[in-house]
Amino acid sequence: MLEDKVLIWKFKCGSSDALSRIYEKYKKDLLKLATILLNNVSDAEDIVHDVFVSFAQSAEKLKLSGNLKSYLLTCVANCARNKNRANQRHQSIGLDKAEPIISRSKTPERWMICSEELRRWSDAMARLPYEQREVVILHLRAGMKFRQIAKLQAISINTIKGRYRYGLDKLRSILNGEMKK
Amino acid sequence: MRAAENIEKLIKNLNLDIDTNTEIDRVILVELLEAHKKSKKTKSPFTGPNIRRTIMKSPIAKLAAAALIIIACLIGLFLWRTTGSGIALADVLAQIEKVKTFRYKLIFKLTGHEAPDKPYYSETRGTSLNSEEYGWKRIWERLDPNGGDSTFIEDYFLPQKKTRIEITPKQKKYSRAELDDTQVERLQKGGIGRDPVAFLKKIVGSKYKSLGIETIDGNEVEVFQTKDPNWAMGYFKNPQVDVKIWVDVKTRLPVRYESSVTGQVGDRINQQLVMYDFQWDIPVDADEFEPVIPDDYTGTVVKPAAMTEENAIQGLRQCVELFGNYPESIDFEGLSSAFEKSETPAAMRLKEEIKGLSEGDKANRLMDDALPIRFLIRFRFRLLMDRKDPQYYGKTITPKDADKVLMRWKVSDKEYRVIFGDLHAETVTAEALAELEKLVSK
Repeated sequence: MLEDKVLIWKFKCGSSDALSRIYEKYKKDLLKLATILLNNVSDAEDIVHDVFVSFAQSAEKLKLSGNLKSYLLTCVANCARNKNRANQRHQSIGLDKAEPIISRSKTPERWMICSEELRRWSDAMARLPYEQREVVILHLRAGMKFRQIAKLQAISINTIKGRYRYGLDKLRSILNGEMKK
Repeated sequence: MRAAENIEKLIKNLNLDIDTNTEIDRVILVELLEAHKKSKKTKSPFTGPNIRRTIMKSPIAKLAAAALIIIACLIGLFLWRTTGSGIALADVLAQIEKVKTFRYKLIFKLTGHEAPDKPYYSETRGTSLNSEEYGWKRIWERLDPNGGDSTFIEDYFLPQKKTRIEITPKQKKYSRAELDDTQVERLQKGGIGRDPVAFLKKIVGSKYKSLGIETIDGNEVEVFQTKDPNWAMGYFKNPQVDVKIWVDVKTRLPVRYESSVTGQVGDRINQQLVMYDFQWDIPVDADEFEPVIPDDYTGTVVKPAAMTEENAIQGLRQCVELFGNYPESIDFEGLSSAFEKSETPAAMRLKEEIKGLSEGDKANRLMDDALPIRFLIRFRFRLLMDRKDPQYYGKTITPKDADKVLMRWKVSDKEYRVIFGDLHAETVTAEALAELEKLVSK
């Protein structure tokens, strides 16, 4: 935490080294979150790239009093939600198509090289409705409190808790179904 | 049945490890640093009167501020200790990118073996004068490894005339290359490896560390080093890299660069580069960049081929001619290996022709004969640098696979350009590409 405070301070003072350190420190966390939210490596890379570029340009106007990691994860979550909405508007991808999209991504020219575990979980998560998936991931993987997620999405905390509960139930039945196979 | 809390634990504790492509990492980091550089002002955000007034109004805030300063100093001491004088290389890069003119000297040495018992060695020395406005003038002296006369080459890049001129006085020859706007822009950006700006960009994009303070000519300098193998940018297989840069503590400008890279390109080679005697922001005269070509020199005019899809296809065609098939990978290592193994008539003829030539002449001959392949390598490299998501399937696709994807890259959010096995090209949607690529993996 203290290191992050110093990094932000140095970054706002114009230090490029601080930016490099922030990038190195958090790029993987952001890529993982984006991948599991979108189940599409290409989209995930694009939004993480955009988040970092916006962050790099924001040194002067950045007003960050809280946690740097949470801030960046929130930016990714917001962009992922927008991307998901845009994808839904443009085309309706069936859940069965989710697997080849991420499987193809394991190529040397990609920015991110996915582990099998991430691919598997990303596929499982993709079977949850986006709203439920987002809450489950932000709470359990990004460490965000329900109150923070509710504020982020501008909806009531009870709705968030409901989505979380439904999400976990559905995930449990998906995983149990896989185990029975 | 799994209990909800078990699933929560499971998801929380998942070890979802990923890796990232270091080459693309470096490209993105340089882009971020440039975005940051463009947006930042040097003024500290903590020097405004409002903050000071706020702190000094409240005794609690005063105490908190004092504590924060002590903590910041302690952390600062720790950070400074790890970086010698506190020089940030990215800031040095930002500073030399603002420089309008500079001059430096250079020594480049290459050692390897033509045969196990036949070592070869080449050494080039030179001076380079660079101007943002007028371009560059470089004078190279190529030393004869057998102690004979050196060969001198004058190399001019003139952006205003969109021209590059190379003069070889010993042979009374010159060549004039007419460049297009893209080629001019790339040369202006320091696109060739021996440029100090490009060199520093690569260090900044690699994992580097400070080796502490030294004294050169009575001036304090901080030394930075990288041994990151990715610094060799895919030109070598398993390279051993040792790159150092000396930065003047007072001026925050580089005073010397050294690099030593050992790797495999055909045989095992070592290349050493030293750049020194830098003079930054010096006065220059336009006349210094005006090449003087005596009347009795003979010249050729060449128009370097652009890195277009057509040229890339020509390169793939030449691969089939030389290797009998597409190479497994489009890089120097993959292509060298394919040439070594190839027994096609074209390859055998070329091997016969270069037999007995010196290593230098052999390389020159191969470079000339494989011009389309060189364009192909550069084309793919450019796609990679531009994050166009290029993919190549030469490992499994042959010229008979007319409907299968040999190479593809992104042209827009929804479309890809595809070169098929029979070398025809089409633009397809991302969805169509997904279907086509299913055939490749089978």
